[in-house]
Amino acid sequence: MESSLGGWPSYNPQNFSQVVPADPSAQPLNVVPATYIATHRTDPPPGQVITTDPKNILLRHFYQKSEEKLRPKRAAPDNLTPQNNGKQPRGPLSDGGGSQATASGRS
Amino acid sequence: MSVWNYVVTAHKPTSVTHSCVGNFTGPNQLNLIVAKCTRIEIHLLTPQGLQPMIDVPIYGRIATLELFRPHNETQDFLFIATERYKFCVLQWDGEKSELLTRAMGDVSDRIGRPTDNGQIGIIDPDCRLIGLHLYDGLFKVIPFDNKGQLKEAFNIRLEELQVLDIKFLYGCVKPTIVVLYQDNKDARHVKTYEVALKDKDFVEGPWSQNNLDNGAGLLIPVPAPLGGVIIIGEETIVYCNANSTFRAIPIKQSIIRAYGRVDPDGSRYLLGDNAGILHLLVLTHERERVTGLKIEYLGETSIASSISYLDNGVVYVGSRFGDSQLVKLNLQADPNGSYVEVLERYVNLGPIVDFCVVDLDRQGQGQVVTCSGAFKDGSLRVVRNGIGINEQASVELQGIKGLWSLKSSFNDPYDMYLVVSFISETRFLAMNMEDELEETEIEGFDAQTQTLFCQNAINDLLIQVTANSVRLVSCTSRELVDQWNAPEGFSVNVASANASQVLLATGGGHLVYLEIKDSKLVEVKHIQLEHEISCVDLNPIGENPQYSSLAAVGMWTDISVRILSLPDLELIRKENLGGEIVPRSVLLCTLEGVSYLLCALGDGHLFSFLLNASTGELTDRKKVSLGTQPISLRTFSSKGTTHVFASSDRPTVIYSSNKKLLYSNVNLKEVNHMCPFNTAAIPDSLAIAKEGELSIGTIDDIQKLHIRTIPLNEQARRICHQEQSRTLAFCSFKHNQTSIEESETHFVRLLDHQTFEFLSIYQLDQYEHGCSIISCSFSDDNNVYYCVGTAYVLPEENEPSKGRILVFAVEDGRLQLIVEKETKGAVYSLNAFNGKLLAAINQKIQLYKWMLREDGSHELQSECGHHGHILALYTQTRGDFIVVGDLMKSISLLVYKHEESAIEELARDYNANWMSAVEMLDDEIYIGAENNYNIFTVRKNSDAATDEERGRLEVVGEYHLGEFVNRLRHGSLVMRLPDSEMGQIPTVIFGTINGVIGIIASLPHEQYVFLEKLQSTLVKFIKGVGNLSHEQWRSFHNDKKTSEARNFLDGDLIESFLDLSRNKMEEVAKGMGVPVEELSKRVEELTRLH
Repeated sequence: MESSLGGWPSYNPQNFSQVVPADPSAQPLNVVPATYIATHRTDPPPGQVITTDPKNILLRHFYQKSEEKLRPKRAAPDNLTPQNNGKQPRGPLSDGGGSQATASGRS
Repeated sequence: MSVWNYVVTAHKPTSVTHSCVGNFTGPNQLNLIVAKCTRIEIHLLTPQGLQPMIDVPIYGRIATLELFRPHNETQDFLFIATERYKFCVLQWDGEKSELLTRAMGDVSDRIGRPTDNGQIGIIDPDCRLIGLHLYDGLFKVIPFDNKGQLKEAFNIRLEELQVLDIKFLYGCVKPTIVVLYQDNKDARHVKTYEVALKDKDFVEGPWSQNNLDNGAGLLIPVPAPLGGVIIIGEETIVYCNANSTFRAIPIKQSIIRAYGRVDPDGSRYLLGDNAGILHLLVLTHERERVTGLKIEYLGETSIASSISYLDNGVVYVGSRFGDSQLVKLNLQADPNGSYVEVLERYVNLGPIVDFCVVDLDRQGQGQVVTCSGAFKDGSLRVVRNGIGINEQASVELQGIKGLWSLKSSFNDPYDMYLVVSFISETRFLAMNMEDELEETEIEGFDAQTQTLFCQNAINDLLIQVTANSVRLVSCTSRELVDQWNAPEGFSVNVASANASQVLLATGGGHLVYLEIKDSKLVEVKHIQLEHEISCVDLNPIGENPQYSSLAAVGMWTDISVRILSLPDLELIRKENLGGEIVPRSVLLCTLEGVSYLLCALGDGHLFSFLLNASTGELTDRKKVSLGTQPISLRTFSSKGTTHVFASSDRPTVIYSSNKKLLYSNVNLKEVNHMCPFNTAAIPDSLAIAKEGELSIGTIDDIQKLHIRTIPLNEQARRICHQEQSRTLAFCSFKHNQTSIEESETHFVRLLDHQTFEFLSIYQLDQYEHGCSIISCSFSDDNNVYYCVGTAYVLPEENEPSKGRILVFAVEDGRLQLIVEKETKGAVYSLNAFNGKLLAAINQKIQLYKWMLREDGSHELQSECGHHGHILALYTQTRGDFIVVGDLMKSISLLVYKHEESAIEELARDYNANWMSAVEMLDDEIYIGAENNYNIFTVRKNSDAATDEERGRLEVVGEYHLGEFVNRLRHGSLVMRLPDSEMGQIPTVIFGTINGVIGIIASLPHEQYVFLEKLQSTLVKFIKGVGNLSHEQWRSFHNDKKTSEARNFLDGDLIESFLDLSRNKMEEVAKGMGVPVEELSKRVEELTRLH
């Protein structure tokens, strides 16, 4: 049975090459590195303040389904155009009304 | 009144929650990055081991820590997400040594149930997106664009509501996650989803696997080309992938929560379980297909919460329950069958479950003794502020005026002679062959006069300076070789010397400079200054350790310190100290490669200056108070590092840490003189002259807090000190695990309060847990007892219905059970109260009196009680008043009415806080900590107009600590000095789950207002790392509300003023309208609170 131990990956063979194991009876190390204090600007670059799409998931689903349903209806306006053209304008009535109003105003 | 409070960390969090390895600080630098709750530490892998680089405070509790590398980048970026849903991406700027913010944001949602099993944050291996599981039923995606920048986040509905783990899979054309979840029948399964970025939705993934080990809790994704995922259960480990490969192996029952990948190809993993056992998991494979799983025992470590393979067989084991470790994986087993060799252990105090404060010397300074750790890694830790001197020998000697050590030869490594100076004589002590000090003679020295200075010199000579002469003595013959005599009427007042130079100050302001040349004393220069000279120093700080080019001189009358050049005695720099107190000691020294001038005044103040060793320029003037009497300064060496000992009524060690001067008190009352005395018998020891005594001792490591570990191999839960019997007692339990069942055995243990030797043990019943312990005495009984409260935790009960109160006496170092009293619930808290015993039992507060029976024995008899709590977990008392911390109903105030023999509620806080600790700051202000990591203060309103107002405890302070506090206790880590202003400030110590020891100090209002302004000013100069906001971080926050912090100050932020560069300090001081020196002094004084 080949041992699974050994052949440990090595990024830099020098790493830990000079480590002396701590005395087992010694107290554990209580070393804290220097505290980093950010006296420089810490703002992110423009556009990198990230927020969440405010659209509710459920509504997003509804909208997607609505868009799918609406696609056939976009052909409808072509059919409706001739009917619109056939309608008669109401010009005479409007003109009459206007004249009377004007006459009243004068008197 | 204790309304205005200052919160500061004495000991930073040490519990490791996350760790990761990558090229963060440079393309060719391999770093270990460790998260400890609210801080990250960055270490560099080096031949000598882990080199600490920086400690970074984060304004948030770290929930996720991941290194990742976007396309086309040479260095890794660091993703941090906090528990309050902030995140940031950090990049290291190697040129400026700065942490840049690449991105940040808030990923909280207004609607959603925070996930029960903890947040999950993961990054797609190909850096296409970040995935977050923050709320049950939702998976949040933060996409990357093709330049590696983040885009707007969105949510996807996740059908699985009880998620245990989620990971990204490797090698998938589309980003694919694998989800480990539990269904509503408590069965566990995994399934996969592809993330369709365009549609913002999931697509069914390539595979799933049902009905896993019921204890499955961890997923390990395997890199391509092997691919797939490993599922870690309690009894089974499974591998499966998209090709329907399924491999499983049984394991001994264990809970594995930590893993670290060893090989880049993912063929081996380290697994750590809850018993601290380390295993190697191997995927056997051929032709890029996994053929099997194999697990091998490696050895025992601390219980791992994170495992990071580092390099060359070295592994970092981060722990929440014990010390973290650096271990090496050996190829050969040791005699115990272990392949694990511990290279280093790193202190972890967490979790601090309880602590007591022990003031052994009755000086007001307490040692904190904590119940730390969990399971097999449980321990007691003794935490002490200040540097201890461990006396090895002492002799009675009155009237010591000076103290110096000499070697018998210039090049000897060790000292041999102690020169002890008195008012009209000098005596010489030497180490004899039996390593004992005995009196001896140095014939060439003048023993009939007080010695002013003594020194080894070049050419194997000794120097002695007296009021009348400077004598050169041969080391070999010990006879006089040369002599310089003071002119008539100009006796020497003060002197300093080094290996080749002597500087003398005589009356009339005369300064005489001598050099040793060819074993002769040569007067090189003589000047007269306009005032008397009070002190001089000639310690070399430049390249040449035997010759100094600078001299420091302190002056009477004009109260100045001057730097003169040598050999000319030309004035380089004059610094007016101000005030009317004469400098009494001056010292040139180099600490951690930085040169300083230290100048001590007659009133105990110390000035420090940065000194340019080449030019003599003085900058960065600072002033601190070290005592009230004149100070004498001397350098000494400990473990190869130079420090300064300040002898006075408050002896202090001045040392440099990270190139910053720090001050730490010494555990001695008063030291008149001190010198290093490095002998073969006792290396690095010091000779110390106190009133009437000369002693030799060794010195502790030079650091602020000293932590001694007493391993228990079981978990301590409650602890108490009893001064009268000189003992500590604690409740603990041992976790027993056989192959069939788990159980716990609970104890009360007694130990000596100085040696921590185990004295006695009492085993509780089966299922009986120790819940509380106090030391108390009763009315009409002169004895002092330990009282222990217990609970019977039966498997079939929802909550304990039975417990006991046990009363022990300590007799001949043994616990003797005197009385036991059965209770109808768990005794969560006990207090000594009005000569009686107050107990919190489930929802009730019960008062017992100590009754004498006819047969002469005692019993506990119930007197009265109060109910109306959910669970009364914590109680504190003051006079007739009782404060109760409830599981769910915050704080209430009760009062005991003697005449009626009744306990009534006076007032309560109507907020629904789940309490974790309470304390009474004074008669009217009470402080509590709750389970959302906040602390708050409430006030009794006795003078209010209405019953309703009097019945309400008013919340007067709120603050987000970011730590779960388990105990608040009155006490101080530092010596309380009765004549010091800071000594009047009352303090409470707190201990937390992550190993923090902190101080809450109640400030006078005027000081609070000043510091509040300082905090507001500092926020503008010290930014949050990752652009996280200090104001948001410190806001009081729970499920129901978020409100601005009030009446609490962030001492950690305020004290970071001392870490600023001088320029920044001056800008802050200008904003405050205060001189920078005054501001530094006031902040420095705050650091002496802990």
